[in-house]
Amino acid sequence: MTMEFAGKTAIAGIGATEFSKNSERSTLRLAIECAEAAIRDAGLEPNQIDGMVNFTVEDNPEIEVARNLGIKQLTHFSRIHHSGGAACGTIHQAAMAVHSGACNYCLVFRAFNERSETRFGIGVQDRPATANSADVDFGWSSPFGLLTPASWVAMFARRYMHEYGATSEDFGRVAVADRKHAATNPEAFFYERPITLKEHQESRWIVKPLHLLDCCQESDGGQAFVVTTLERAKDLAQPPAVIASAAMGSGEDQQMMKSYYRDEITGIPEMGIVAQQLWRDTGLCADDIQTAVIYDHFTPLVLPQLEEFGFCKPGEGKDFVKDGNIELGGRLPINPNGGQLGEAYIHGMNGIAEGVRQVRGTSVNQVPDAENVLVTAGTAVPTSALILNRGNA
Amino acid sequence: MSEAKAAPDCSADSQQDAQRKAALLEELRSAIGQTTGAPLPARDAVNQAMIRHWSDAMTDFNPCYIDPDFAAKSIHGEVVAPPAMLNAWTMAGLHPPASLQGRGVDTYAKLDAAGYTSVVATNSEHDYVRYLKLGETLHHSTKLTEVSEEKATALGTGHFVTTVTEYTNDAGEVVGAMTFRILKFRPGTGRMAASAESAAPAKPRPIRPKPGISRDTGFFWDGIAQGELRIQKCDCGALHHPPMVRCPKCGTYDLGWIVASGRGKVYSHVEPVHPKIPSFDYPLIVGLIELEEGTRLLSNVIDIEDEFVEIGMDVELAIQECNGVELPVFRPARPARREDTLHFEDVAVGDRMAPCPIPITPTLIVSTAIASRDYQDVHHDRDLAIKRGSPDIFMNILTSSGLSSRYATDWAGPEAVLKNLRIRLGVPNYPYDTMTMYGEVADKGAVTNGRGPVTLKIRGTNRMGHHLTGSIDLELPSNAA
Repeated sequence: MTMEFAGKTAIAGIGATEFSKNSERSTLRLAIECAEAAIRDAGLEPNQIDGMVNFTVEDNPEIEVARNLGIKQLTHFSRIHHSGGAACGTIHQAAMAVHSGACNYCLVFRAFNERSETRFGIGVQDRPATANSADVDFGWSSPFGLLTPASWVAMFARRYMHEYGATSEDFGRVAVADRKHAATNPEAFFYERPITLKEHQESRWIVKPLHLLDCCQESDGGQAFVVTTLERAKDLAQPPAVIASAAMGSGEDQQMMKSYYRDEITGIPEMGIVAQQLWRDTGLCADDIQTAVIYDHFTPLVLPQLEEFGFCKPGEGKDFVKDGNIELGGRLPINPNGGQLGEAYIHGMNGIAEGVRQVRGTSVNQVPDAENVLVTAGTAVPTSALILNRGNA
Repeated sequence: MSEAKAAPDCSADSQQDAQRKAALLEELRSAIGQTTGAPLPARDAVNQAMIRHWSDAMTDFNPCYIDPDFAAKSIHGEVVAPPAMLNAWTMAGLHPPASLQGRGVDTYAKLDAAGYTSVVATNSEHDYVRYLKLGETLHHSTKLTEVSEEKATALGTGHFVTTVTEYTNDAGEVVGAMTFRILKFRPGTGRMAASAESAAPAKPRPIRPKPGISRDTGFFWDGIAQGELRIQKCDCGALHHPPMVRCPKCGTYDLGWIVASGRGKVYSHVEPVHPKIPSFDYPLIVGLIELEEGTRLLSNVIDIEDEFVEIGMDVELAIQECNGVELPVFRPARPARREDTLHFEDVAVGDRMAPCPIPITPTLIVSTAIASRDYQDVHHDRDLAIKRGSPDIFMNILTSSGLSSRYATDWAGPEAVLKNLRIRLGVPNYPYDTMTMYGEVADKGAVTNGRGPVTLKIRGTNRMGHHLTGSIDLELPSNAA
């Protein structure tokens, strides 16, 4: 079994707003701005869009976006659940939609004022305690004060440190790499502001064992894409970023951010499920990947992602991230845009855009000969990932 | 100018006051060096019954105190009294005979008469020449050694009074000594009293997030309300948490539950620091607990400081109200009493003793006060304790010593021999708090005669701060013996 759209669909356009701490405009406005930019980047007119995919947690309804863009008809619209885990899943869904003929040009977007209006980092303490399944789920953690994404991830991190001997400094190397890359990316919030490992270690506690600099930013902004078939993409304005494959994954005894009840909690089985599909569909392996955008809402879960994709063995992520291995010029430069710690936290979508730029060869931090680029989505949730390249042509 | 006019009056008052105080201090200090006279015998010889009461109340089950067979083969050769009982033997009791009355240091009576009617013990320093054996009658003689200037303390304004008591046996052999310091103070003059009076009515506290409860998970929370922790169990044997509707192993919808033992281990843990949520008390530790039965449960680890929490640490269930929500939480299990004795070479300076939480129940406070023959009403009578300005009854200092001794020998083993035990008290231990004992090896000396000296630094910390800080010198057998 392989996914039929693999290698036959492409990202034809990318567009974003600026990334900031206060956009000073509505999330709808952000959505429309980034969507129009992506459509124009592809060389299309808004009314050529006939499909739309976004996150279930997206505030802006498809119909409102369609109204503002002047889209006359939509023949496909769908949403992907599980917050940041949805990022590459939206591209996966759009690829399936255009490949199946449900639509021709599918707009994918995510836009929010996650810093100036609705901060994820403040905690879920005000969530109502109803009998619905999701609220019942939070009932196993919220009454005890485990309320923020950082705290949910920290629980995995502590166990990972215990089992594999990883240290806070190992996590810090991810932050240092991200900020190094952001420092040379003018679009990044932390442009020209690299950090040292010492600064990471000295940054204040958020949730022990996580420091402030283990945590991504909170950001305002929007990011959009146009997905179409490879055949159509070839006729558009940009060189196609071919979706070599995209995949989604949810594992056994999967929970939302808190899959604490599995036999082991040091790996990310759902990401393993995603990885196996991508390698199967593309015939590639870890050695074939020149650069990767590894979802980095919090540094600790970058390490087991590298392990799940086979860049190193389980427990060896701490060794893999050493010696500049994940920095530009290293074995696997990750997050050349600065990632979500350095560029912006746009729920993983800005990472996909960086993947497209690397394939196009237009990144400000271009990795030489970036043939195959891996992009992953949110961890500790049902997740997704994709591989982009220039196709066989 | 009214200020200037008022000043001389005020000054005259304070001058008189100062003179009165100086006179009192001079009188009190004139007694320094005086003793209570010839050593006074204890009411009872060292006996197994009192030791057993102490052992039960302190839950100090060192077999050298209570198991004749073990004790016979031990370094002591026979049953010995817990060293921290030193001054319990000579306490006057509730209704002492006339022959034992009126022989205390009269400094206390003078201070009572001068209005310093409240008392709190602040320091106890025991020196043990040797452990006491059954049948020995202890004699004691107390000397006044120090009276402090009047000092303003958190409890109130008063004088610290220090005495040294020497303990001898029937033959006049010195077996131990105690330096004891108390504060005699005027009730209602301390910061604590002032702040209690001026405190604004407490704002209603936001309650913690409540759990969402469904038809499928109600059994769990019903269990909590009834004081038990339930784990969903299928007839096929599978345990599930979080609870399920259908057993994914065998397919049944007919799922029951078992009551968990409440024992578990820390599987992972975090300390949320930022942001702080008003409905929680910080520091806060969230632990992922692996229950003995095999399932895991998110919870809080209470009564321990974050840096002492370790993966694999044994914890025990406590179901309690947490800012408005009844929840299952866990505290570190009391470390198991060591049955063999550590050797001198087994310990190194810097070694940590496993933290030991001690829930402060009214029963603990009262039973230990009585077992130590301390009938001060503030240790057993809540109404009188409140009348004296205390929010509740509180633990007596003999118990603080007794629990420190227990902590040391539970850690080091039954044949560790205490040479001294010095504690200084801070905040009181009131009911429904927990005091967690922490300790570490602070120093090691040189082995002589097959025994090596080790110094422990200890502290007992409750929710208000340090209840006690102190040190214990003990001897451990050496491998070189």
